[in-house]
Amino acid sequence: MAWIWFHKLGSPPHFYRLAGRMTPWFAWPALLLCLGGLYGGLVSAPADYQQGEGFRIIYVHAPAAWLSVMIYSAMAVYAAVGRIWRINVCHALAASCAGIGASFTLVALVTGSLWGRPMWGTYWEWDPRLTSELVLLFLYLGYMGLRSAIDDTARADRASAVLAIVGAVNVPIIHYSVTWWNSLHQAPSVMKFGKSSMPASMLIPLLMMLLGFTLFFVAIMLVRARGEVLRRERGAQWVAEAAVEA
Amino acid sequence: MTPRQRRMTLVAVIVVGVSIASALALRAFRDNVMFYFDPTKVAAGEVKRGQRFRLGGMVVQGSLTRTPGTLNVSFAVTDFKNSVPVKYDQVLPDLFREGAGMVAYGRLDASGTFVADEVLAKHDEKYMPPELARSLKAGQAAAAGGAGGAPAAAGAAAAATPSTGGTQ
Amino acid sequence: MSTPVSAARAGWLLMRRDLRLAMRRPGEWLQPLGFFLVVMTLFPLAGNPQLSRLRDMAPAALWVAALLSSLLALEFLFREDGQDGTLEQLAVSGLPLSWLLLAKTCVHWLLTGLPLVLVGPLAATALGAPYASIPGVLVVLLVGSLALSLIGAVGAALTLGLRRGGVLLALLVLPLAVPVLIFGARASALAIALEPMAGSIYLLGSIAVLSATLAPLAAAAAMRISLE
Repeated sequence: MAWIWFHKLGSPPHFYRLAGRMTPWFAWPALLLCLGGLYGGLVSAPADYQQGEGFRIIYVHAPAAWLSVMIYSAMAVYAAVGRIWRINVCHALAASCAGIGASFTLVALVTGSLWGRPMWGTYWEWDPRLTSELVLLFLYLGYMGLRSAIDDTARADRASAVLAIVGAVNVPIIHYSVTWWNSLHQAPSVMKFGKSSMPASMLIPLLMMLLGFTLFFVAIMLVRARGEVLRRERGAQWVAEAAVEA
Repeated sequence: MTPRQRRMTLVAVIVVGVSIASALALRAFRDNVMFYFDPTKVAAGEVKRGQRFRLGGMVVQGSLTRTPGTLNVSFAVTDFKNSVPVKYDQVLPDLFREGAGMVAYGRLDASGTFVADEVLAKHDEKYMPPELARSLKAGQAAAAGGAGGAPAAAGAAAAATPSTGGTQ
Repeated sequence: MSTPVSAARAGWLLMRRDLRLAMRRPGEWLQPLGFFLVVMTLFPLAGNPQLSRLRDMAPAALWVAALLSSLLALEFLFREDGQDGTLEQLAVSGLPLSWLLLAKTCVHWLLTGLPLVLVGPLAATALGAPYASIPGVLVVLLVGSLALSLIGAVGAALTLGLRRGGVLLALLVLPLAVPVLIFGARASALAIALEPMAGSIYLLGSIAVLSATLAPLAAAAAMRISLE
């Protein structure tokens, strides 16, 4: 009985309505958190003792990098769930993750590169963290390429699910690259046990940005997944009804 | 084979394969496939003369000397066991500090000096406002009885070593 | 099939069949080898032909050439058998498809990987690597090319029968092959410099064992989708 909500969620019309109702609940907090985080990070947080004003790029770079990995994991989980329990909505969610993830990966790479020039002295270094992040971008592109190459949606779903799951081996590599290879990239400041290596005045805006970016991702994902569900169900009766309602 | 037997075989194969792979990977990490060499490895002669490699470590406090009128600088890099003298003739990155981490590309010359053709500054994961850093440093210096930059170097060293607690 | 065949025997028969077919069509496995040699000779032409400089470049040249040539060869892995329906027969044979695909991939490696393993070290000496480095480079290429073939099999199974399959295959396989490229090139650099390279070999071996375990499963899953 407890699984009924799960199956209900898997029904396209139900998901379509629910996603539509939930989107503003993610979008508005995301906007507020990002505005607050940007103000806190760019205006009220003090400059860093070593990096001066330049460190403020962390307020965009770290959330984007976090999302690039998080979205890939989410995509792999959606793909696996969709594959195992044959839930179409999960495939639609996975498909809508890819483009967003690729964009955030690109943002993380570009901002990181702009940050690296003044701090390390180079735009790009073939360092494990940077290289594995670049590989992540290629994985997203490969996923999107595979999807677009297969015309039959059901087959595209299953084939790209295999790729998403195989590619997930890269996620722990990205995360632990800094620890394993003693890389040029600094260790994580926020996500660790015990005390964070940042004072509250810097940390709180960063956490706001992290949460804001994540909620923003969920909102965009829901919007895109709704579009994807509509596309897949375009012949169905409920779509016609929903169109009449709207 | 019954489906059940087949499934058990599959699980056994996966378990064996994954454990062999992890054993090999662990063995590899003991042989350290590092991104760069530290001064102790250089002192132990693990690098050949003339071979281009990456040297990583901390810049020794007070070791940075500039030749007036040129960009030439020299400094020593240490891992708190051994140190290696380094020469460089280009602009140092902004974050390059005595007592902070750095990575350099280059070769050893005949006298054992590392001639760098690229120097990168490695910064740590600590962020704090400048006033806080100054007062921390002052407090530490007072506690250490005016030992100068030593406390700062020790603090930075802790940050430069791969942080074992730094994972989620 | 009148008599049930054990999985081991089926794998053996499949390997023999694939080898015999390949012997009748030498172009398929000679092409990647020729491509490898051409790419290797392009490096001294495009770069500095001074031997000491070439030696610095040799590991990179070796691995880029090996990766590209293995990509080229992957197109042949399942193509013929996909077109004539052999793969469907394998899929419905009741034998574990992953096992059969592993057998096919092994033959593919024997035909396209092993020649590179044997010729690669010699090509490296032509780029200035010392003769003493031949065994080391050989071992690195052996382990690395096995991993490349296994990883590639997943991509080949995913793109089976697709239009524009070749480009997509490269896009899918290259990111997954990056670790092999990095550690392979590093291990060969150490081998060419006649330095201990055990660490990198272990890591490459770890990647190869992991791909040997998981890649056939993924390839079989992908194959079943492609065959629908």
